[in-house]
Amino acid sequence: MTTTTSQPINDPLTDHEYDGIREYDNPTPGWWHVIFLATVVFSFFYAIFWHTSPLAWTEQDAWAQAQEEEYAKLFGSVGEMKPDQATLLQTMANEKFMAVARSRFISTCAACHGTDGAGLAASGVNLTDDHFKNVKQIEDLYRVITVGANNGAMPAQESRFSVNERVLLAAYVATLRGKKVVGGQPAEGEVIPPWPAASPAPAPEPK
Amino acid sequence: MTPNPASAAIPADGHAAAHGGGRLESFVYDDAIVRKFLWATIIWGLVAFLAGLIVAFELVLPSLANWTLESGSKPFGFLLPLTKIEWISFGRLRPLHTNAAIFAFAGNAIFCAIYYSTQRLCKARMWSDTLSKLHFWGWQLIIVCAALTLPFGITQGKEYAELEWPIDILIAVVWLGFFGTNFFMTLKNRRERHMYVALWFYIATIVTVTMLHVFNSLAIPAGWLKSYSVYAGVQDAMVQWWYAHNAVAFFLTTPFLGLMYYFMPKVAERPVYSYRLSIIHFWSLIFIYIWAGPHHLHYTAIPAWASTLGMLFSVMLWMPSWGGGINGLLTLRGAWHKLTSDPVLKFFVVGITFYMMSTFEGPMLSVKSVNMLSHYTDWTIAHVHSGALGWNGFLAFGMIYWLAPRLFQTQLFSKKMAEWHFWLGTLGILLYVIPIYVAGITQGLMWRAFDQNGALQFPEFVETVTRLLPFYWMRIGGGVLYLAGAIIFAYNIYRTWRTRPSTYETPVHTAPALTRAFTDPAQPASRLQANAGFGHKGDVFLQGWWHRVWERKPLKFTVFAILAVVVGSVVELIPMMMISTNVPSISSVKPYTPLELAGRDIYIAEGCYNCHSQMIRPIWSETERYGEYSKPGEFVYDHPFQWGSRRIGTDLAREGGTRTSQWHYQHFIDPRSLVAQSIMPAYPHLAEQDLDFAGIQSRVNAMAMIGVPYGSAVKAGKAEELAREQAKIVAAEIASGGGPANLEGKKITALIAYMQRLGKGVSSFKPAAAPPAPAPESDKPLIGEAVPAVPSVSSREGSGR
Repeated sequence: MTTTTSQPINDPLTDHEYDGIREYDNPTPGWWHVIFLATVVFSFFYAIFWHTSPLAWTEQDAWAQAQEEEYAKLFGSVGEMKPDQATLLQTMANEKFMAVARSRFISTCAACHGTDGAGLAASGVNLTDDHFKNVKQIEDLYRVITVGANNGAMPAQESRFSVNERVLLAAYVATLRGKKVVGGQPAEGEVIPPWPAASPAPAPEPK
Repeated sequence: MTPNPASAAIPADGHAAAHGGGRLESFVYDDAIVRKFLWATIIWGLVAFLAGLIVAFELVLPSLANWTLESGSKPFGFLLPLTKIEWISFGRLRPLHTNAAIFAFAGNAIFCAIYYSTQRLCKARMWSDTLSKLHFWGWQLIIVCAALTLPFGITQGKEYAELEWPIDILIAVVWLGFFGTNFFMTLKNRRERHMYVALWFYIATIVTVTMLHVFNSLAIPAGWLKSYSVYAGVQDAMVQWWYAHNAVAFFLTTPFLGLMYYFMPKVAERPVYSYRLSIIHFWSLIFIYIWAGPHHLHYTAIPAWASTLGMLFSVMLWMPSWGGGINGLLTLRGAWHKLTSDPVLKFFVVGITFYMMSTFEGPMLSVKSVNMLSHYTDWTIAHVHSGALGWNGFLAFGMIYWLAPRLFQTQLFSKKMAEWHFWLGTLGILLYVIPIYVAGITQGLMWRAFDQNGALQFPEFVETVTRLLPFYWMRIGGGVLYLAGAIIFAYNIYRTWRTRPSTYETPVHTAPALTRAFTDPAQPASRLQANAGFGHKGDVFLQGWWHRVWERKPLKFTVFAILAVVVGSVVELIPMMMISTNVPSISSVKPYTPLELAGRDIYIAEGCYNCHSQMIRPIWSETERYGEYSKPGEFVYDHPFQWGSRRIGTDLAREGGTRTSQWHYQHFIDPRSLVAQSIMPAYPHLAEQDLDFAGIQSRVNAMAMIGVPYGSAVKAGKAEELAREQAKIVAAEIASGGGPANLEGKKITALIAYMQRLGKGVSSFKPAAAPPAPAPESDKPLIGEAVPAVPSVSSREGSGR
């Protein structure tokens, strides 16, 4: 087939002729049949398995399992977190939790508060100064994240994130305080007292 | 295989019978119409390639304009205003590019091929010169209408079926009324007893495209230039991708296979490799192709059975597709040496090679787990361009290089230029597709990447876009090469045309008319030595003599072709319409308010769906990024659905309530003021143009007509009143956030109302530990109970999604 010079082909021709076009009476290549049949057989068993077998799972099952695994991996050692001052202060010191929270912050909060938390013009407040509008103490961060603020300008995240995730986010936002990013939005609200020192209890360590 | 005695005997009488019988008639072919289509192919090809280059450039334009030197100057800053021009924004021009490439360039190329080859394969002039001309000018009118509507945002918002309903009707009339009638009447009046395989493919093309176009375009008009698809959400998605996938099948594949079957043996001067392969791959191709559409919707809200059918029929489609490729390439056996000297063959061989690569890649991409990575990325873009530039483009070029000297009755002006075109085109395709494959896989992997803590590694969406910009630049290089080749091609054909004779010769052909008296060749004997009767029957059947009988009966053949494409359509689409469990309803999902509807129409008009999806798949990385995965019941009022097919921007399915209205205002006016690296166009015109409040009523009423429960909002004037009421609230939100006052009459307010509504129908999902209280739905129902409350600031606070 891949010769570079003209070679006579001795295959049988059909008697068909259309505007000078002829057709060989060659059989369909064997490998063509084999692969075609293989795809049909595969399809048959694929459909039977995925739509009748008790061993099959759905896309939604796989998602739910991923959710369970990821939550267990992240929070397995701490269980349900309490949005109280002690937990928030401990969480702030947990590097892993803060790394996770940073990713959440960037994917969800940064649109208005900026990736560095310094706020965006006429959008999200600067979280890196010492001024706060709706926060008097550290637990208020959790409350604002949960139910929103400023007539919904800060949207409630209750349905988007679990309690633990909101605790992580609140703690992360708490760590942003005082970074005073250069070029951030002008301060809004009141200066509030610094966060209390973390309690001596060790921060919860995830597995 | 050894020829059996029965079939060996056929030539003598079979041949005579095929050509004999009737009285000798003389006729001339209509080549003037072929010349017209040839020019249209070339001109629209240039337009389509140029439009592609422009939209490709638009994706890198913002970063180029914002490129800052160390001195602080922006050498290309003068380009920035281009991102603010509404008529050339990516969302409006991209449909122009795709429509021009598919329907103008490829469309005219297949008409060129069909008008040339059908006459010769039928030994008959086209049935009606008038219909031929009406077809030609009607089709060009459609293209001009497309060019005059799409840049102005007049669109149905369904990919590759964007044209509004009056143009849709024109398409149906031109396609079936002019082209189809002319073609089938020519078949009826043919002087060749049997139909060659090219004609089978043309038949399948004409009947199936009619079916696809008509059923996908069914819509209720809400004015001369606006309509709503009669299907909603999941059903619309299924119909749309049944259409769009089979536009690839029956507009870009079957007619081009017909083209290949005629022109390849002509150019190679060799017989076609295998008649029997033609039969089996034709029927398996058209039967299987029609089922494959749902593979565009893997992991979306369609039912699992539809997704499985889409995948499996795509996998089974691999060999039927390759049957055409094999028959094309193996026709060159014994003539491969011609490849070195004949540019036409070069185009054909590379074109068919791209066809075979694409038709392997297609089944691969339709495997669910592969699609999970590739969907919404540039991988799909690379895939379709290897098909469109390689297969459709190169076959059209090859055909025209072969046709031009014959139609213009002269010599090709320059073979060397054709060689240059070939190499520029080939390099252009490679420089296009390879970087875009890399871009697609890169972005797909970035979306799903988690760091060691289990958090998204690239949580900032724009980062997954800016990473692609170097590849987008390379693509522009590829596009420039491909367009440069096409310009050389156009010049070459132009110069060829210049050397035409002052008057064309019109050779007169003679052939006997077909008579009714015809005896089919005898049924062949079984070739099996020892077997039961059933085996013998099977062997006789496998020799395909029965198909030879069909080939002389166009009506019967057409009916069987229709059956082949109707089966898959009915099995996939009818249950989707009839069985309610396919779309479980969600009681909290309410119709769009009149203002939101008007905003949605702006979303569609601006072509936002070209870059933004509204479909979160049940994949962990997606729900981490965007929130709860989309449910089928959320889309029951989406006429048309807006799930999108590519994420150049983020998914918007859960956009509502995540940002302030003022944020949206500023982002529309100047996206880069909020997301520095954003490549989104700016939409300042939306804040300047007035919303047509008075026109909302007819839109609401049209939606009500297709079953959206709008209650009392259909009363004259009510929709406008409601829209104005809500517009005031949204405008106040924008103003209270620091935005300008008095936006309540502007388009941007409606669009923001729609943005704030997206994904709000579903109450809640994730907090495994603490499910939130049910969302307080509203304090002030607007229109009875059916219509959602205006999402005022007070009701938004504390409410779930």
